[in-house]
Amino acid sequence: MDLIGIIEQGLIASLAAIGVFISFRVVDLPDLTPDGSYVLGGAASISLMYLGLPWILCLICGGIFAGLFGILTALIHNKLGVNSLLASILIMTMLYSINIRVMNGPNISVPKEVSAMEEARYTEKTKLDDLLGIKSNTQVSEIEAPTQSKKTLSPFIENSGYNSTILISVIVIIALFSTIIFLRTEFGIALRGYGGNKEGIKNLGINPELMSLVGLFLGNFYAGLAGSLFSMYGGFADVNMGQGVVVTSLAAVILGEIIFGRFQLFYNMLCPVIGAVVYQILLALAMRYGYTIGFQSSDMKLVTSLFIIIVIGLRRVEIKKWLNLKTSE
Amino acid sequence: MKRLVLTLLLVSLFTLTFAVVKVGITQIVEHPALNKIYEGIVDVLNSSGLDVEIEYQNAQNVFQNAIAIAKKLKTDVDIIVAIATPSAQAAATEIKDKPVVFSAVTDPISAGLIPKFGKNSGNVVGISDMVPVETHVKLIKTIFPNAKNLAVLYNPGEANSVFIAQETKKYGSQIGLNVIEITGTSANELVTSLHANANRIDVAYLSTDNLVASSAEILGQVFEKLGIPVVAGDIDIARNTAVLGFGFDYYQAGVETGQIVLEIINGKKPSEIESRIVSAEALTFYINLDRAKKLNITIPQEFLEIADEIVGG
Repeated sequence: MDLIGIIEQGLIASLAAIGVFISFRVVDLPDLTPDGSYVLGGAASISLMYLGLPWILCLICGGIFAGLFGILTALIHNKLGVNSLLASILIMTMLYSINIRVMNGPNISVPKEVSAMEEARYTEKTKLDDLLGIKSNTQVSEIEAPTQSKKTLSPFIENSGYNSTILISVIVIIALFSTIIFLRTEFGIALRGYGGNKEGIKNLGINPELMSLVGLFLGNFYAGLAGSLFSMYGGFADVNMGQGVVVTSLAAVILGEIIFGRFQLFYNMLCPVIGAVVYQILLALAMRYGYTIGFQSSDMKLVTSLFIIIVIGLRRVEIKKWLNLKTSE
Repeated sequence: MKRLVLTLLLVSLFTLTFAVVKVGITQIVEHPALNKIYEGIVDVLNSSGLDVEIEYQNAQNVFQNAIAIAKKLKTDVDIIVAIATPSAQAAATEIKDKPVVFSAVTDPISAGLIPKFGKNSGNVVGISDMVPVETHVKLIKTIFPNAKNLAVLYNPGEANSVFIAQETKKYGSQIGLNVIEITGTSANELVTSLHANANRIDVAYLSTDNLVASSAEILGQVFEKLGIPVVAGDIDIARNTAVLGFGFDYYQAGVETGQIVLEIINGKKPSEIESRIVSAEALTFYINLDRAKKLNITIPQEFLEIADEIVGG
């Protein structure tokens, strides 16, 4: 198994998990927007790469665009009094169409280093062609050589000068620590207060609407960032790639909480990151050994879920044993 | 002990000289057409007489899994076969030092897999499942000379289908057909969209869309009720819905993909093999005379003569 690759993927997924952690745990607003905003992040950042913006800017823009849709969810939640879950489902559905618009199609690949493109679609002559009066199906038309200098290449291609593991780690560490620092500021404490008691903070002179806006912006910003990074890493964005992002991220957060427990802020914020990496490793193990013990490919989702349940179960049993020991002493 | 060591040595020598070629197949989702490709590849490899070990992984439509699978196959196998666009993109991005053979990618150029059809430098080669759209559109014009509005049904979320729809528009406008797009991301949406536009459709064109393929049964019933004739670019869809069908069997596409894999096993480099479209011999011409009769359509004799499969009559 390529452990480094698995950890890289886990780290990318951990960005989405940080986002889900913020919306579900910190501000306590269940939000499904990331299923759409994750894709928007990827779609926007790759589209921007075709315009020639530096990749780091594309990455951040992907996150910001995604975050804006988080704000939209919060606005619908606040101004129209719609449940946040329902509001987010509406935005998520809306994003499907928007993502296709952004990519100008359902799938987009990262810019490639090609000097000239030649469009040559040749089908062989079919037996119907004579009857239909099609003379030759072969047509070669030259597309103008795309202006190369303008496109930005992905930092994950070979010879880009970046080490993918270090690059991803740095981005995740920056994201993690800036969030921790932010949540320790006065504003961040207010945000956590909002999550703890949505009405109570009014007494402290804090505007709860602003808090939900900021919370969902951050939640989706990180989902978008994860989508951008995943698209650059994987080489493409696809309109269907967001399916289940919230669910897997939530599973990662819960897994992290089981490993770390819910202690103070610093350890709490490590939960999504550690959880996502462990989740990815479990997934890889299920993929690696699931088949050898007789599962078929369509059982993979069953196997991964069972795997996680078993890990959670083992953990609980262990805690109980430990607790029993403590009380008996 | 000595004997044991000797046996072990012999065994390892044996496995070294008769090394098994490992082929990893990655597929994005369970789907009848894609599964048929897989079967075609497996049959070709198994009947080749070579010692081939096949590992099959399916991403279950989770794109992150497609990358995880590509990473896994990169270390575990010698040749990678990727079925459908996202799996192929993941494999081609991830794997640079081993051959990657794609299949069921309609537009490998836009997908960023290869810069052009034919021979390309690099490790990626494969088979496109592009259907002859121009032939289909001309066929529709010939059999339905009075038709003005041609509906094309597809899922806007599938890259392959969007490309075919664009081609349909291109060729349709050349011969004066007005192309109406009927789109939906679920069977339910497709049928609703079809009902909403029913009275302005003269003839419908269904091509190799995954959603259309899986909802072919219900679409067939709806078209029958509405009395709209259908021409299909996929034989399985044609059997459920169409008066005329002209498309290839996905099993055949799998066989052709498998043959490319065999060429690579036998020593060719991916850069020495042409990337191409499924060969024209694999195309089957289907005519359903029962449906034609109901809709009062006469099929010219010359078409009946060259049909491969005629139902009713």
